[in-house]
Amino acid sequence: MDKTSEEASSKGKKRQRDQQPTDPQTNQPHHQIFSLEDNLSFTDTLVALRMMRAQFPRIDKVSIQPFILRSQLYSSVKDRTQVDRELESLRREKVVRIFKLNTGQDDHAIMFLDDYLNQMENVVKRLEEKEGDQVFKWFRTHVIDSKLEPSIEHQELYTLLSLGGMVKDGHISLLINAGLLLIDPNMYWFAIPNIGSVLKGLSQGRKEVLSFLNRRRYKEMMLASMEKKCLRFSPLDMRFHLRDLIGSGHLKTVQTSTGLLVRVSKD
Amino acid sequence: MWKEIGDRERGILRPKSFTTRIKSNRIRTLQISNHKDIVSPHRASINSLQVDLTEGRYLLSGAADASAAVYDVQRATDYEGGGLIAKHKCLFVVDKQHEHGHKYAISSAIWYPVDTGLFITGSHDHHINVWDTNTTQVVMNFKMPGKVYRTAMSSLATTHMLIAAGTEDVQVRLCDIASGAFSHTLSGHRDGVMTVEWSTSSEWVLVTGGCDGAIRFWDIRRAGCFLVLDQSHSQLGRRPTIPEHSATNKALTSKSLSSGQNLNAKPRAQQRKLANGNGTKQSPVGRMPAKGSLRQRLHPGMLSSLDRATAHYGAVTGLKATEDGMYLLSAGSDSRLRLWDVESGCNTLVNFETVRLQAGKPIQLATSQDSALVFVPCMTAVKAFDVWSGNTSQTFRGHYEYVNSCWFSSQEQELYTGGNDKQILVWSPPRMKDLLRIGITGVIDICS
Repeated sequence: MDKTSEEASSKGKKRQRDQQPTDPQTNQPHHQIFSLEDNLSFTDTLVALRMMRAQFPRIDKVSIQPFILRSQLYSSVKDRTQVDRELESLRREKVVRIFKLNTGQDDHAIMFLDDYLNQMENVVKRLEEKEGDQVFKWFRTHVIDSKLEPSIEHQELYTLLSLGGMVKDGHISLLINAGLLLIDPNMYWFAIPNIGSVLKGLSQGRKEVLSFLNRRRYKEMMLASMEKKCLRFSPLDMRFHLRDLIGSGHLKTVQTSTGLLVRVSKD
Repeated sequence: MWKEIGDRERGILRPKSFTTRIKSNRIRTLQISNHKDIVSPHRASINSLQVDLTEGRYLLSGAADASAAVYDVQRATDYEGGGLIAKHKCLFVVDKQHEHGHKYAISSAIWYPVDTGLFITGSHDHHINVWDTNTTQVVMNFKMPGKVYRTAMSSLATTHMLIAAGTEDVQVRLCDIASGAFSHTLSGHRDGVMTVEWSTSSEWVLVTGGCDGAIRFWDIRRAGCFLVLDQSHSQLGRRPTIPEHSATNKALTSKSLSSGQNLNAKPRAQQRKLANGNGTKQSPVGRMPAKGSLRQRLHPGMLSSLDRATAHYGAVTGLKATEDGMYLLSAGSDSRLRLWDVESGCNTLVNFETVRLQAGKPIQLATSQDSALVFVPCMTAVKAFDVWSGNTSQTFRGHYEYVNSCWFSSQEQELYTGGNDKQILVWSPPRMKDLLRIGITGVIDICS
């Protein structure tokens, strides 16, 4: 019953669908103009992302590609709405991918698509499963390419993977074991593989910075001296944490005559 | 201000723009009122505030000690400080001692939209009472299956007088005052419903926000909801941009309501700069065959219960529609405030800088009349945000504890806020007398 109604509605659209193959041809020059390599206009957000990616701290124990937290972008670019919108258009153009993290409320990690694919490659190489190989390929070509949101429903994952071949339940557990998907009742969240220890360091580092400032008499410190401090519990450097906390509103910066001052915000 | 009056006199400024200019100037100078004080008889936190919609004169407040009180905000009951401070005591209070009063906290108190003869209170004792204001008697009583979180009546309704009630039960019930019975039960939410609001553009459309994080739009003339807001469907701007190849692309992309298959309104305009045509759309190929078997068993109106899209990562704690009915503001317990375009069902991605919002209790948001500012209770302060850019315009700090509700009276350009510290605070623009006195003598002399 549903199929016939769908056919009925598509009949009205048939004419447009015939026209559609011709459209991409006229669109070709447009695509080339707007591809990232040729695009000479950089948005503030893209510049900030590239800068922070270059400044990502080197972690010795884990090999992880650079990622940026959303709150760090908010601390660098003044207008938050503009950041959100530019990030959204970058995501739609498949330049970056956004992942929801489970550290705290509404934390998102942004990773350039190339970095994410490299990270996936490294993880898959290490696993070396025989039948598993195909699942990762299907995942990469069908799911990552078409599903740009941070989460996916079970049915949809199943159907997208089936575009590659016969999917068994064991395949999906392979993906979960590799750390590419996180299970939630009825849906899956995309995740960055091998990131667990870094996330633990992230939340511990946040707590350490906040408790350090809270212990001080006036709950503030000069930014210059803060940046030189080393963190005991986090592999990520102080600058990473400061940007994150300032962007999420836990800390605020005040301009003084001797430089920037970092203060715990009370609200 | 004198220049504006002169321009108006000479006819350079039109009457409407004159009034909006004066009003917005006054709103920008809101501060805690130094000439008006509301004496609240409540002995527990204030959960709900509303000024009546007909005259804008009577303020109704509902508190957690099961008391509801009405104040006249235009005429003071007495004056203090040599006639400088107007004290507004309550005209009457109904509380636990009343024979038909509520037993537990009142979570929502609203006026009957047509006149001030009736008011409706919803309480945690599972009852909704309809009171007659003049005799302070309960004329009607509805028993709900769970604690009532919010009640709402449509201010546009001419053909119905339904009270929409959001309770801790998953179903939203509509109670009819005319017949005294329940007229509708709306199912679709997966958890309790914390906020209900009627649409400001249609008397048949109800918006509900649930503890499961979903915001659903219901047309009460049909079964099921017709729109579920999804935070991942977004548009870059106030209205979706018109695509370049508009005619052909629109027909291809507007598959949102075709034969009730998928009930998400999809964003229509991402065609312009994308490298490929279908950048963000979930491929309908993937969805259909998997759900075909399930679909045959459900009534088409109930398909929306399969939709698990969420508008917030936590519960939806506050909803407010703009006056023109085109945009909807929602606050969630994930401490995010989102602005939705009702027409396309998309998130407009305006970022409101809220660090923390109160979770666990429904909060009441208020918008200024031209919808340029939204007043949001953020913990112990009330912040005014610019709706279109998300910047914080003003912060009102005065309450000692969390603020639960605020109401903006556009007639007087005054903001009333009530919180857990049992106080109702009035925020008003400074009076002309004070401005002149400060200007001339240079000394602030409020209480002589």
